[in-house]
Amino acid sequence: MTVRLPAPLRTPIGQAALAFAVAIALPFIGHNGGFTNFLADAGAFVLLALGLNIVVGFAGLLDLGYAAFFAIGSYAFAMLASPQFGIHLPFWVLLFVASGIAAVFGILLGAPTLRLRGDYLAIVTLGFGEIVPQTFLNLAQWTGGPNGIGSLDQPTIGSYKFGFDALPYYFMVLGLIALAVWLANNMRASRLGRAWMAIREDELAAAHMGINTTATKLAAFAMGASFSGLAGCALASKLQLVSPDQFGFNVSVFILAMLVLGGMGNIPGVIVGSLILSALERFILPQGTNFLHGLGFTSVDLSNSRFLIYGVILVMMMLFRPEGLIPSRQRKAELHAADDDATVAAHEQTLYTEAVR
Amino acid sequence: MDVFLQQLINGLSLGGIYALIALGYTMVYGIIELINFAHGDVYTLGTFFSLAILTLLGVTGVVTGPALILVVAVTIIGAMILCGLTGVIIERLAYRRLRNAPKLAPLITAIGMSFILENLMLYWRGPSPVSFPAVIPNPDVVLGSVTIQAKQIMVILLAIVLMLVLQVFVYNTKLGKAMRATAQDKDAAQLMGININTTIALTFLIGSALAGAAGFVSGVYYGSTWFLNGFAAGLKAFTAAVLGGIGNLAGAMLGGFLIGLTEAMTTQFISDQWSNVVVFTVLVLVLIFRPSGLLGESLPNKV
Amino acid sequence: MISSQRRSGAFAAALAATLGIVFGSILTGPLPAAAATVVKIGVDLPVSGADATNGIPTRNGVVLAVDLANAKPLPGGLKFEVSALDDAVQGVHDPAQGAQNVKTFIADSAVLGMVGPFNSNVAKAEIPLTNDAGLVQISPSNTNTGLTKGDDAKKLRTSHPDVNTYFRVCTTDDRQGAAGATFARKLGLKKAFIIDDNETYGKGLADVFEADFKRQGGSVLGHEHITKGQQDFKALLTKVHSGSPDMIFFGGTTASGGGLLRKQMADVGMRDTKYVGGDGISDEEFTKETGDMANNSYYTVAAPETSKLPSAKAFVAAYQQKFHANPGPYSANAYAAAQIIIAAVLKGVKDDGGKLPTRLEVRQNVAATQNFDTPIGRIGFDKNGDTTAPILSFYEIKDGKPQFLSQLNLKD
Repeated sequence: MTVRLPAPLRTPIGQAALAFAVAIALPFIGHNGGFTNFLADAGAFVLLALGLNIVVGFAGLLDLGYAAFFAIGSYAFAMLASPQFGIHLPFWVLLFVASGIAAVFGILLGAPTLRLRGDYLAIVTLGFGEIVPQTFLNLAQWTGGPNGIGSLDQPTIGSYKFGFDALPYYFMVLGLIALAVWLANNMRASRLGRAWMAIREDELAAAHMGINTTATKLAAFAMGASFSGLAGCALASKLQLVSPDQFGFNVSVFILAMLVLGGMGNIPGVIVGSLILSALERFILPQGTNFLHGLGFTSVDLSNSRFLIYGVILVMMMLFRPEGLIPSRQRKAELHAADDDATVAAHEQTLYTEAVR
Repeated sequence: MDVFLQQLINGLSLGGIYALIALGYTMVYGIIELINFAHGDVYTLGTFFSLAILTLLGVTGVVTGPALILVVAVTIIGAMILCGLTGVIIERLAYRRLRNAPKLAPLITAIGMSFILENLMLYWRGPSPVSFPAVIPNPDVVLGSVTIQAKQIMVILLAIVLMLVLQVFVYNTKLGKAMRATAQDKDAAQLMGININTTIALTFLIGSALAGAAGFVSGVYYGSTWFLNGFAAGLKAFTAAVLGGIGNLAGAMLGGFLIGLTEAMTTQFISDQWSNVVVFTVLVLVLIFRPSGLLGESLPNKV
Repeated sequence: MISSQRRSGAFAAALAATLGIVFGSILTGPLPAAAATVVKIGVDLPVSGADATNGIPTRNGVVLAVDLANAKPLPGGLKFEVSALDDAVQGVHDPAQGAQNVKTFIADSAVLGMVGPFNSNVAKAEIPLTNDAGLVQISPSNTNTGLTKGDDAKKLRTSHPDVNTYFRVCTTDDRQGAAGATFARKLGLKKAFIIDDNETYGKGLADVFEADFKRQGGSVLGHEHITKGQQDFKALLTKVHSGSPDMIFFGGTTASGGGLLRKQMADVGMRDTKYVGGDGISDEEFTKETGDMANNSYYTVAAPETSKLPSAKAFVAAYQQKFHANPGPYSANAYAAAQIIIAAVLKGVKDDGGKLPTRLEVRQNVAATQNFDTPIGRIGFDKNGDTTAPILSFYEIKDGKPQFLSQLNLKD
């Protein structure tokens, strides 16, 4: 496995640029609408995974109700860009408004709960994730209840309307991903990012080092939520609809599984994990089902098993490779800390060499 | 007033089921500080195990006479054993390896186990609700203006009896002492010659067995079961455990009844569609303002 | 250190392999149709989970229509194919999944028309898409009024407000709900408590029932919404019982709580209270789930009773022969929907001198359908896309079996 890459591709920026170029070319390779449509949706989930990664991967706060912020962002967009109240704010403004509203809710939920212990926090967020869609469903006079809000405005650039073709949405999502990766990457390397990681590793120690743990954690919640607002706008405008059943616990777990599979805390890992699961859901399982039907197993439908597969992924990854397929080196060290003293020593050595360099 | 009393009975019966499930959450959390997310699904599994045993016994409706006691005993004990073993297997497969890992890790495997169990039940008994035989005769007991069903008395009594048995076990037997010791300090307990692995497995066995009992009870009470019931029921039972004070057996029981009452009263005085929102809001508020619960002592954040 | 490097090397290999599979499967994914002579009819229905008891027999209706069409000589080696997708996610129909499926159909140029969806909230997500693509869709079972009528329907036709691509062979909830109210009043019921499942179909139906029941002199004691997956209805039913209604109207389906609700009525002393619903509780699952509590339940179906129609006899026989089961409540509707699309395609082929028609031509032919013979009677479409033969049937469950009571043709 010692393939030598050409020099420019050995730097992270070079690799990112290559990945971006490939991503731009992809819809033209597949050259069919279904594939582009898949890419646009998968891209929106990459955005969600990147957002959750800030909360879970960087700051180590298990958020089991992430779909609630996604819901808030989507509904914020829907209410301000549809015939629902006759308000039609421009899409590009709403992108920031909706992610801002999601971030505010992140802070509102986070402020009182973040002093809780990690597992309690997980349950509070889970409860919140149940409350939010149910509330949207119940407040029918404003939210359209079970019908949701439809006929949402489409993004426009000048006189160009995005329409129903997935291609412009895909490029928009790609742009948002680039923005999100840039933000997440800069934050990770910043003072704030290092504070997140310090908290993740040892909150008490971090507090003693003078880190304001509450503010730091709140920042993670707000940032994570704001990414889901971006994804909410993109998906809602593409689907032309928000409805309360799009934001259940399943969605939160789906996104979490992306992180666990790819590698919590590592941006390329999260992107890969997210793409693999989206492809699994959209192509591999249906194709596998067709294949099995061809072999005569006509009663098998693998698509029904997708939640079983996510469950297996969560369990297997945590047991055997908690750092994910593409781990961040630091996270790997933490998660394997308990393995045995020898490996701990080895990891510490790695960290040390890294730090010295 | 009549309706209020009637809703009180409804709430207590529903709460009895939550309480039985909450006992399992609280025991497991008390000993290894893990929210056993799959516990709600073990409860659902309990309904399906009970149903399978009843089918084996050829029971399809109400049983009367001495056979009733036998059928109920065999089914409950059978479901308890099967669920208990399931709990032990889950602990062995998914949690033991991660006992010293960051807390995030076992919690994620717990969610994974929950999804796996749900889907196995989906394969086993299909996606639609499954009918459950009535089993026990269900005469109405009229107390003044309130009508109580025999089923409701059974739920409430069984919950209280099992809680008392558990209390005696934990506080008056050697094994119970080992459990409490392990909960307090694993290393010290080990030094005192307690086998940690066995003790934790025992905790899972008992907690899951109680979920099995809850499964039988709820099957009889509702006359049906469904593979996804455990999610909402589990979350509410966990709320009950937290409300009562996690790690506290009497607290779990108290919390269960209170959550059941909250649900019934919300339906009566507000609206059915808000009952989940109200219950989960209670969860959020309790965790924020009194994370130690009603009967629990405040737990320091372990370092 | 060496071992750990080797390990990550192995994982890189595994990763590369996974990605290979991912992209391999993507590229071999839904390819454009190779042979121009295959015409696909898309089918979007919930065929897994709790909705499968309705979804599968409905899909079978389309399969049967396509098989029978292929059995006849078709012009120019033409062959019809069913391209069926599932819009249920984790056992429940899902609007986003439905929209996804429609996009898949739109992307496949061989799909010239589609049958579906089953659920009204899914239709809301799909109509803007088929409207934009000009792909005709016929639903066998959507009854929500706003899908075809009024401002709500206009809002759904976002790209081409004056071109309708959405049709349905069943009648609408404003008629079904109203007929349910008329029917309940005829049974002598005066005080109703209304419960719905808080979904597009159930709530829509219940709202219409409420308005009409009041208009016809009935009184409504309350209107509550239950929650998806709810198990305990005792508190709700105790509340309902305290007002002593003559009947409960349920807007929703067996799967969304209609069965459990009926069953638990026994526990609060409402064993003999009448239970009235729409076609959502017309499936076999309802009688199975409620057991002896099924009796005293009444429901409407937005379709004629098949056994009463001569044109249905042949359909029922062919269905039984092929699937070794009785048709579901919407099998005949789905069969009719597929028949209409097939006829529209064949007419297009004839008009274009043997060439395949465009999607818009197929749409136009479907829109022009009049006096078309199907197992559910002679139907056509009005300007909204609704059937011109709105027939409703009433049933009562007696001794655990649905008994046909009467039929109402709203055209008369």
